[in-house]
Amino acid sequence: MDTPEAVDSEQQESPDDVSDQQQSPAPAEGAEGEVIIETRSLTKVYRDFWGRPKVRAVKALDMQVRRGEIFGLLGPNGSGKSTTIKLLLGLLFPTSGQALVFDKNSTDVSKNERIGYLPEESYLYKFLNAEETLDFYGRLFNMSAAQRRSRTQQLIDLVDLNWAKRRQLKEYSKGMTRRIGLAQALINDPELILLDEPTTGLDPIGTREMKDLIIKLRDQGKTVLMCSHLLADVQDVCDRIAILHQGELKELGRVDDLLSVQDVTQIQARGLTPEAEEEIRQVIERHQGELVTMENPSTTLEDLFLKIVRESDSASTAEMTEK
Amino acid sequence: MVVDPSEFITFNEWFPLAIWSYAKIVLLLLSAGLGICFAIAVVRHGPTEAIYIISRAVTGFFSRDGVQVSPRRVIALAQLAIKESLRRRVLVVFGVFVLVMLFAGWMLDVESDNPARLYLGFVLTMSNYLVLALAMFLSAFSLPNDIKDRTIYTVATKPVRPLEIFWGRVLGFITVGTILLVVMGVVSGIFVHRGLDHRHQVETTSADFDSELKRHSGETSRDAHHRHDFFVDEETVIGGEIIGTTDPIVKEHRHQVTLKEDDSLQIGRPQGSLQARVPIYGKLFFRNREGQAEDVGLNVGKEWTYRSYIEGNTLSAAVWNFSGVDETKFPEGLLLEMDIRVFRTSKGEIEAQIPGEIILRNPNPKPDADPARQACMPIPFAATEFAASEVFVGLDQLKFQDVSGQLKPLNLFEDLVDENGQLEVWIRCRERAQFFGMAQADVYLKAQNNSFWMNFAKCHLGLWMQMVLVVLFGVFFSTFLTGIVAMKATLATIVLGMFSGFLADVHSGEVAGGGPLESLFRNTTQQGVTTDLDVSEGTSAVMKTTDRVYLRSMMLISGHLPNYPEFNTIRKVAYGYDISHHIIARHMVITFGYFLVLSVMGYFVLRTREFAA
Repeated sequence: MDTPEAVDSEQQESPDDVSDQQQSPAPAEGAEGEVIIETRSLTKVYRDFWGRPKVRAVKALDMQVRRGEIFGLLGPNGSGKSTTIKLLLGLLFPTSGQALVFDKNSTDVSKNERIGYLPEESYLYKFLNAEETLDFYGRLFNMSAAQRRSRTQQLIDLVDLNWAKRRQLKEYSKGMTRRIGLAQALINDPELILLDEPTTGLDPIGTREMKDLIIKLRDQGKTVLMCSHLLADVQDVCDRIAILHQGELKELGRVDDLLSVQDVTQIQARGLTPEAEEEIRQVIERHQGELVTMENPSTTLEDLFLKIVRESDSASTAEMTEK
Repeated sequence: MVVDPSEFITFNEWFPLAIWSYAKIVLLLLSAGLGICFAIAVVRHGPTEAIYIISRAVTGFFSRDGVQVSPRRVIALAQLAIKESLRRRVLVVFGVFVLVMLFAGWMLDVESDNPARLYLGFVLTMSNYLVLALAMFLSAFSLPNDIKDRTIYTVATKPVRPLEIFWGRVLGFITVGTILLVVMGVVSGIFVHRGLDHRHQVETTSADFDSELKRHSGETSRDAHHRHDFFVDEETVIGGEIIGTTDPIVKEHRHQVTLKEDDSLQIGRPQGSLQARVPIYGKLFFRNREGQAEDVGLNVGKEWTYRSYIEGNTLSAAVWNFSGVDETKFPEGLLLEMDIRVFRTSKGEIEAQIPGEIILRNPNPKPDADPARQACMPIPFAATEFAASEVFVGLDQLKFQDVSGQLKPLNLFEDLVDENGQLEVWIRCRERAQFFGMAQADVYLKAQNNSFWMNFAKCHLGLWMQMVLVVLFGVFFSTFLTGIVAMKATLATIVLGMFSGFLADVHSGEVAGGGPLESLFRNTTQQGVTTDLDVSEGTSAVMKTTDRVYLRSMMLISGHLPNYPEFNTIRKVAYGYDISHHIIARHMVITFGYFLVLSVMGYFVLRTREFAA
């Protein structure tokens, strides 16, 4: 998996490209910003019908998410990521400890005024169409009819569903449902967005667009908490991550700090002859260094796929223009 | 028509008693709810934290969630519930209704003596059951489905308060039920009107003219499975037209007969089949054969004690004390409607009517009043069995006998009605060894007829309130039960509510055969309900005690559930009686009472449940 620094240089040429943003992520305020989410010894134990402990889903979790950062909860299936998000949303109650959002208890409904939530699967009413869906959720935020109309259109444009806005959601593909799910999460222009597996069900283009959007939201000053088991997604967009395993926090910190290998130096160069490479080897030996690898780097499958699709799109557009 | 004694209580009499009972129940529920929640919180978090949790929940309701309800959110959730109902093929119910209506003619007895009663009873009962079933299905499954499909996640993570979720669902389903009920009401109205509407022609062969009396008479053609006799007096001119009528009443209606200028007779549409009589009920007490006052009359050996009997040709009398009798209500006299039962101890001529007499008496005469002027001379009538009969007592019919034995006129309002507008009506049976049976509702003063269609609408209001109650219970149960269990719980409330009277009768022993265990045993061992159980004393005691505990707990539950039969005013409409505004007001208050309690209980359940668990 590429780090943001290792992305193919061709993609950096496009100013709109996400990789440009990935190359130079907006500096998160990190440990200095206002605390938006805080958990204190947060523990959740699922019980059976008789009240006996069944699963300890989250164990004494302590973490903070600060304003303006993208925070990733990472872990394998069943590690407690979704449970943590549900605890923060008040869909579950802590067994012990506290979950605070905007300094309010997570069960306080008023905090939801400033929150947007995209569930793991887009749990929406399938008998509504896109416009009705957004209008319904807009009403739940007490928005006026005019506000709802303009915001609905804005979001439908954003998720590119204008062409299908009058179709019932039951006719939507999984990717389309995810997009309208994201639109509903943004209906109130939230300060904090919680995304549960945001790229699930999306094709590579959709995934990239979702990641672009997450970064864009962060750049607009919003705080994003996302959970995923897809490492690439987390690595691409998150400023800080927490790694959970079996409900316990295993690692917490900035992505670049956690991923940087301090005793290895990586050099990338273009247009070197074999003689020049040999000379570099000798220099390393002279300085008692150990050459780990010297090879031509490969791109990621995601980058390759996107390149092919974009080239194909450009060719078709050119052909159409010629005709 | 059998009238529940509770109907004689006015709203003003009922309300203070009801509000007191309601307060006691609310207090009991509140204490039980808080106690259970506190106990659970103590086990989970310890006593100090438990006090904090409970106080925060209670203050949260009064300071925030209970008062900051957004109508926009409630309406949004209600509209969602409506769309969901439409998606769940709610129109199928209406389809079933229309389909049954189309073929109703095949099922109803066309030869019925009272087609209006039959038609009204049929359409209103069908509307009632369909709407209740619909309300039960819609309300019980909605929220559980949302929780199962997890669509509730996207709602509960918005600033939606638990009370808004509850009210939104309730409002949505009530709206669906209301629309359906209105449409069903209109279709029912058309069905009844068309079903009863018919025309007759004059049977020319029977037409006759009495030149002495100047009276046309004859028979109508046989249409709608009946025919009428009619007469038209040429001297009876109303509105410039010579008007007559069919007589007697057949199938509870008459027709107006008009003599046209060309001497032809035209028979009009049926009249009187759809009516809403407004009865003024009095308080009933009895006089025994010695003329002394008693609360009840004789028991002639009937198990059903609804009616009491008076003995003929004795001083026995049934006495009604009516209030509010004044000249504005009865400017021409009193119209008494009577539904008197006859118990014969000698067969005689079985079809002959039993003679009786009516006496009007001043219950509180002035001290200086002439004793002879305190009661009128007996007015004779004949009791018609199994049918209501009308007796009109005109002002000029009231006489008294002075000391010289001469009959002199009495003034109803000055001599017989006391200062408080009260009047006593005494009814006696004249024939020896025969008995009249009467209940409080069997004799009443008829003030005027109200609009039948208004009464029809009021009956639908009763059905609507039943539907509201079912929706409330359905949504409440769905806040903590799965769909199918919530539906069964709602059904149980309906069944218990409908049969609470029966449960009480079984418990009191009025219905023989014992409780479920005993009756099951009797059924399987083929033992009659009135015989002693053929088991050992110990087994019998165990069986009866188990039944008693079971019935008592069922009665305790059913006593706090809506009494659905009380809301059911179909019989009143079908029998042509106006539904009093006292009854409607009482039902509305009861419905509102349940609305408040179930809303608060629903709020706390939603507030304390984990949607994602």
